[in-house]
Amino acid sequence: MTSSRQRPGLKALKYLFLTVVGVAAIGPLLYALYTSLESPADYPRLVSPTHLTLWNYRYVLDNAPILRWYGNTLFVTAGVVIGAVVVNTMAGYVLARIRFPGRTISFVVVLAILMVPLQAILIPLYLLVAQLGWLNSYQSLIVPFMVNPFLIFLMRQSFSTLPVELEDAAAIDGAGRFRTFFTIAVPLTMSGIATQALLAGTWTWNSFMIPVTFSTDPNYYMLTVGLNSLQSQFYTLTTVQMAGVVFLAVPVVLMFVVFQRLIVPSFATAGIRG
Amino acid sequence: MFDQVGDASLPAHGLGRAGRARNSFWSKQRRDWAAAYVLIAPAAALLGYWFIYPIVETFVLSFQQVNLFHFSERNYVALQNFNQLWHDPAFHHSLYITLIFVIFVVPAQTLFAIFLAAVLHSVGVGKTLFRTAFFVPYMTSTVAVTTVFMKLFVSGGPLSDLAASVLRLPNTTWFAEPSYALPFLVIVYVYMYIGLYVVVFVSGIEDIPSDLFEAARVDGAGAVQQFRFVTVPSLRPFVIFVVVAGLIQAVQIFDQAYVIASSGTILGSPAGATATLVIFIYEQAFRLNDLGYGSAAAVVLLAIVFLGTLVTRRLLPERT
Repeated sequence: MTSSRQRPGLKALKYLFLTVVGVAAIGPLLYALYTSLESPADYPRLVSPTHLTLWNYRYVLDNAPILRWYGNTLFVTAGVVIGAVVVNTMAGYVLARIRFPGRTISFVVVLAILMVPLQAILIPLYLLVAQLGWLNSYQSLIVPFMVNPFLIFLMRQSFSTLPVELEDAAAIDGAGRFRTFFTIAVPLTMSGIATQALLAGTWTWNSFMIPVTFSTDPNYYMLTVGLNSLQSQFYTLTTVQMAGVVFLAVPVVLMFVVFQRLIVPSFATAGIRG
Repeated sequence: MFDQVGDASLPAHGLGRAGRARNSFWSKQRRDWAAAYVLIAPAAALLGYWFIYPIVETFVLSFQQVNLFHFSERNYVALQNFNQLWHDPAFHHSLYITLIFVIFVVPAQTLFAIFLAAVLHSVGVGKTLFRTAFFVPYMTSTVAVTTVFMKLFVSGGPLSDLAASVLRLPNTTWFAEPSYALPFLVIVYVYMYIGLYVVVFVSGIEDIPSDLFEAARVDGAGAVQQFRFVTVPSLRPFVIFVVVAGLIQAVQIFDQAYVIASSGTILGSPAGATATLVIFIYEQAFRLNDLGYGSAAAVVLLAIVFLGTLVTRRLLPERT
């Protein structure tokens, strides 16, 4: 290992540097957390922890439909995750395992769509949603995002790494493709599927451009859109806004910290393949 | 491959008339094909309806004049939208703002991420802990991060104060000051994306054979020289990827610029300082209700992204 041979001074310097950057990375969130616990009268001074209060949280719950937005966000996120897991897993398996007429073109199409930013097709998406009468609805935030080219690609990679012999053996025993898929391949790809669910969940929870465009009725706001609207409503109440930030950010950050072993590698490997 | 084993091996299972009938029409291969089409159908239908059709439609709309509130009345206007873009100072301005943004974001995040990855890779204990900390911003909502940074960079806020005392910059509300709003956007953006590229570079460094470092050390190379002469050259494909993918990503900046512009009510504010390309598209379509004109600008965005992808494909070695 490189680390064992280093001079102690250099090693200490490296850790100091990493610690400074690490604190800078999570610092803004800690700042939001701390400020959200300060009474508005104390902000922006730092006060001792004994002066901290939950006043901002109560205030924002009383004065904004945070719980409604939480419910919306949870419902939409759950819908996208369930749909994505079904749709992308099946497609990923087919592209990894079955040779059928049109397979190459299908894969090329998935890779091509992968590079198209949502920003570039937002206008026609809005028209589709409007024509279906889906503005201010949950389905407009769920249905289009049950499919995701990146996640198809990810699932194809997961299935490709399975030894094909297991499926061959099942087939020789007379199992059809569907049985092989559901009873052999899927149970062996649970970590890939979990990764997919976590990614789809995080993206949906954090998504902003789509919900801010499709939902103009506060009853259908996602948390991101709601928090953005709080900025003007509680313009002078920084501490209340920070309580909103905590509501929005903390669930995803906690989930990420717990499951980072499943999430981070998918970005490392998918990255270079572009 | 298993598919090609095909019918020859099957009779052992498919004995008798029924089996033979199945072999002739519902052969193993055909049943496999049918399964493939059934399993891929939902994805194909959704991709077709929600992605492929809108891509085509973006091009169609770019040749039309369509109002947001009367979108069933569409008139073909040939190249009028593109002609208008060509002469529109606001569009030129948005390209200029986007260019400046990218010019600062891409080198900053690439250099910082490669350096951070090298340091992170070289320490023994605590790698996962630091990596997790670096990645947290990328997993956090853009709205949440931008909202917090607006408090940090408000006049008298912690980071405005710091910038004023250390760098002698005016202690001002960065996102409300025309000459500081774009730098503010760069800071928020780079802060969120560095962790992602650190992860890409760390996986690249892990690919470098350790005897390369060993050989460099035997030749007397210190940490800095190892970084300069082993790490950086070996990471060439990763650097190309991070530069081009980072550029494609940065060109699409929207959320942060929307949030700082008075929660999206005055897009591009202050005074157009953050009117990026996507903000221009959005404003034309959803504030000025001109869907055709917005789509023409979206075609320009697609062209930029497409060119970037072509460049990556050309420069990167084939990997599977």
